Amino acid sequence: MSVVSLSSAVQAAPDRRSALRPRWSPLQMSPTVALALAIVTLVIAWSLAPHLFTSQDPVNGVPAHKLLGPSTAHWFGTDHLGRDVYARVVYGAASSVTSALIAVVIGVAVGGLMGLLAGFLGGWVDTVLARLVDILLAIPRFLLAVIVVTALGFDTVNTAIATGVSAVAVFARVMRAEVIKTRQATFVEASFLQGGSRWYVLWRHVLPNASRSVLTLAVLQFGLSILVIASLAFLGYGDPPPASDWGLLIATGKDYLRWPWLVYAPAFVTIATVLSLNRISRWLRETD
Amino acid sequence: MIDRSDARSPSRRRLLRSAAALVAAVALAPAIRAANGSPHGSPRDGGDLVFLIDTLGPTWIPNNSAISSFQGHVWGHVTDKLAYVDAEGKISPWIATRWEQTADATEFTLHLKDGVSFSDGTPLDAAAVVANLDIWYAGRIKDGINPIGLFPKTYDRAEAVDPTTVKVFFKAPTLGFIPTLGYHGSILISPKTLALPAIQQADLAKTAGSGPYRVAAWKEGDFVKLVKRKDYNWGPEAVGHTGPAYLDTITYKVVSEPSLRVAAVQSGQADVAYNASPQELKSLKDAGFTIATPRYLGFVNGWAINTKLAPYDDVKVRQALQAAINRQEIIDTVYTPDWKLAASFLQGNVPGATDQSAYLAYDPGRAEKLLDEAGWTRGRGGIRSKAGKPLTLTLYPNPYLATAKAVDELIAQQLGKLGWKVDIRAYDVVTFGQKVAFGGPAVPAYEVTRSFIDAGSVASILTDANNGENWFALGESDATLNALRDRIAGASSAESRAPILDELQKYVLAQGYFIPRTQIVQRIYVQSPNLKGETYNGLAYASYYTAAKDK
Amino acid sequence: MRNAYLRYAGIRLVQAVVVVLLAYLFTFVVVSILPGDPVTNVLRDPQNGFTEEQIKTIIAAQGLDQPISVQLWTSLSGFLVGDFGVSMRSTRPVTTLIAEVLPSTLILASAGLAVALLLAAAIAYGTQFLPKRLGQGIVRAFPSLFLSVPGFVIGLVLIHAFGFQLGLFRVIEPDSAWATVFAAVALGIPISAQIAEVLIANLDHESGQEYAAVARSRGLGRVRLFAKHLLKPSSLPVVTVIALTVGELLGGSLITETVFGRTGIGSLVQRSAAAQDLPVLQAVVSLAAVVFVLVNLIADLFYPLLDPRLKLVGGTERRPTSANESAAPAPGSVTG
Repeated sequence: MSVVSLSSAVQAAPDRRSALRPRWSPLQMSPTVALALAIVTLVIAWSLAPHLFTSQDPVNGVPAHKLLGPSTAHWFGTDHLGRDVYARVVYGAASSVTSALIAVVIGVAVGGLMGLLAGFLGGWVDTVLARLVDILLAIPRFLLAVIVVTALGFDTVNTAIATGVSAVAVFARVMRAEVIKTRQATFVEASFLQGGSRWYVLWRHVLPNASRSVLTLAVLQFGLSILVIASLAFLGYGDPPPASDWGLLIATGKDYLRWPWLVYAPAFVTIATVLSLNRISRWLRETD
Repeated sequence: MIDRSDARSPSRRRLLRSAAALVAAVALAPAIRAANGSPHGSPRDGGDLVFLIDTLGPTWIPNNSAISSFQGHVWGHVTDKLAYVDAEGKISPWIATRWEQTADATEFTLHLKDGVSFSDGTPLDAAAVVANLDIWYAGRIKDGINPIGLFPKTYDRAEAVDPTTVKVFFKAPTLGFIPTLGYHGSILISPKTLALPAIQQADLAKTAGSGPYRVAAWKEGDFVKLVKRKDYNWGPEAVGHTGPAYLDTITYKVVSEPSLRVAAVQSGQADVAYNASPQELKSLKDAGFTIATPRYLGFVNGWAINTKLAPYDDVKVRQALQAAINRQEIIDTVYTPDWKLAASFLQGNVPGATDQSAYLAYDPGRAEKLLDEAGWTRGRGGIRSKAGKPLTLTLYPNPYLATAKAVDELIAQQLGKLGWKVDIRAYDVVTFGQKVAFGGPAVPAYEVTRSFIDAGSVASILTDANNGENWFALGESDATLNALRDRIAGASSAESRAPILDELQKYVLAQGYFIPRTQIVQRIYVQSPNLKGETYNGLAYASYYTAAKDK
Repeated sequence: MRNAYLRYAGIRLVQAVVVVLLAYLFTFVVVSILPGDPVTNVLRDPQNGFTEEQIKTIIAAQGLDQPISVQLWTSLSGFLVGDFGVSMRSTRPVTTLIAEVLPSTLILASAGLAVALLLAAAIAYGTQFLPKRLGQGIVRAFPSLFLSVPGFVIGLVLIHAFGFQLGLFRVIEPDSAWATVFAAVALGIPISAQIAEVLIANLDHESGQEYAAVARSRGLGRVRLFAKHLLKPSSLPVVTVIALTVGELLGGSLITETVFGRTGIGSLVQRSAAAQDLPVLQAVVSLAAVVFVLVNLIADLFYPLLDPRLKLVGGTERRPTSANESAAPAPGSVTG
């Protein structure tokens, strides 16, 4: 069973393209990258210190002020219990970021380790792990996430875990390919010849070189995880209020479509964040 | 439809306005046609109804699906029952035209309507009724056909005396038997269908009932289409019509998003939307749509308190909780004025329910005083504590009630002001079933949503006697409650039972064993204005047997 | 050469069968982690009023209290002879359930793929020929944007705009032509992004080649240049991507079918997962694995025939395009 990634088909295109266009150096980055970094920074700031960005209470609303439209007092309007939607988005950043982080960490740790062992040790280890990755790849990722979350029970952390499990195969494959490529590089061969131990070579040479692609993928996966978790929440596998994870805000908002800001506001923030992460991931790849 | 946000986007506003015009045109068209009048046939006959529903439930094996909130709608049109229970809990004849019982209530005689047939041609006679009673009681467990859970477990046997007379025998006095016949589980199915193996009974097209409609077509998870039986003439007299139905077809169509169901009815694409969000009801009503929020007979939505779990073993804390909930604010915020304040732990339409509002008044001052007396004092952050332990309440919103979470969130705000630390843990249906139970070790308050046919069934929930459900984890420890339970179970008539029920309601509320929230509406209907004449039974299911569309 | 090819094909075939079997086992193990099943869940609904004894009797009668290993053997022995068993939720044969909904999903998936290809081609064309001032950069950003929007939001917006406000289709008839078109658009948008990314990258590569410059200098029209000289050589990797999007189409149908109210494989999964209906989930997962494995098997078996330079290695080494596998991890799958 062959394992080919979408990425494999991309070939070495980015390099060619950068040959056609002036290459961006980190210091003179494009304005879109700057904007993307600014947005991601803002989201991280929201999740670290939400109280600096809003004075409203995300949990206790004023019932009499329910379902108000966006205004200067409530930038994103209020929800069905009179809670400020902007405050809920800001306070929800921590939970959204944490969920996506859990998903990425599971993908990177489990998938990365599998890929590392398979690529570095080769032989039967590679064969066994390759079969495991094949199974994970043969099941559509979203279907896999749904099945895993069904098994774990419906709740936000579990949707994050399920999303992470569904990403394991991608990380395993990229890591394996990177490790194989690096292993064959001249300097690694040289290091072996100089008598470096397997683990020393792995730690000192293979891992640092392989991790570059994995980092790019991880940034991308971070954005994707936010979307997958939102979709799982939409299907009803998420955690309940008062947790105000963005996906859940959108998913709850869809029941109140007469008050569209309940969907549009968190959806807009989600889209902006994921788009920024995609841009940063691409930028990392191009400045490689 | 015009709201503030529209001011920002003119194109959107224009779209909305044209959409509103379209809706108005659709709504007006039938009225104009009706004014012209049609000289042919009965003015009420004909028409097709499209009913949008959340889901059509799991299996269609009649015994396993009869009481489903969703499939019950289909069964209500495809099948009949022996007795009819109206929205006030009054029992009247239907397929059984009259009945007698022995003084000790162990032997019943049912007299059946003559000439009734199932849609497969089998007569609905005494033998058919016996076959149904037997399968309600026992199911065919090995084959995957469950018994009807609430059918009296004291059932012994039934005999067909002659084609229209059935004798039913019980092992012990069973006052609840006749009410059970009008319960949604007790649907009459053709003996030919009942003889089929489970895997074939699960195919709805193979099922024959005696109702005013029969199944024309269906697809799993998609729709069920019913067509009327022209030879039907045995409807319940209580609904004022016994002949064939007026509407030609009824289609139950699954649309899982509540907002889409409502929008489809608004734009004239369907006639009825089930389970709309309460928040949308006011504007729908203003736009001329019919809103129905029938209440079923049963318990109100509220908590059965676990009296084993500290601090709710303290009557003062329970009483403080009773006074700390602003029930009017729940109705104002989460619901609409269509919802009724709870006045007891029984729904207001249950025969025997009495007005106990005095125990349920919102009185934060009293709640604070009671908590102070019980030793729970305010600490840092306003949270009360006693001996270093914070005053907590963990709530598990009932997954069977869509608005349960919103109500819990609001109550959390209300209790928070008085020094409670409220955690809300919502589970899906599966996990809820496994982790949350009456009197569970981590469950201080179990959220009740439960219908019943007869108020006498409260006797079986109060304690653990006779396999009772022991809602308050009291066991046999409360002598007053035990005495009330025994007097209710032993009552020989509804009249003699009423004062005991009244006493029970006062006692349970005063002790804070049960904390009502609101009277429950578990079935919400948004209906196009040109559909009229539907009826709601004691379980709040809509029947379109008597309904007709303006033409 | 011939023998080597047969050996290669044989090994691939065996591997494919093993993967499908393992996917089946995997689903069983994962779903069995959580105690509970649809039958027990219904019995425990307090509305039903069953006593604990009744519940125990019923569960025992249906064999649901047997050890996992026995249940696994029962299910696996059925699967090996092509019997998927009976749905625990609806008590109907799993084969019937799948046969009922498969056509709808096939239509949606093909339409979704068509939309994705059209969109991807249009975007790719735009990136090559749209003048800079007319927003070539913006067109280049489309794939990223498409991959950043939760799929259900696209669906809800389409339904409200075209279903309710413009009245192009009726929500209660999700299988009508227009409704299918918009469902396909909702499904196709995220997938078009993946195809477009690959297409753009390859087009950039091709248009940098000498022959493209030559063709241009000879005054070849844009559309012909695009279609004949650029698109064609770029399409081999695209075919690879399409093979991989089969799974995406199925995963995406879960959301799209739920939003649009279609009854297909996706909504069947959604209902079955919520109810822990193991037999149905196992069947669908196996089916998805079979499709994925078949598509890739066909590709694997054809590549060596098409390109004799390719070394035949039976193990884990792979297709021609994977030489640069690690170069650029393109956006993976989004089904959001």
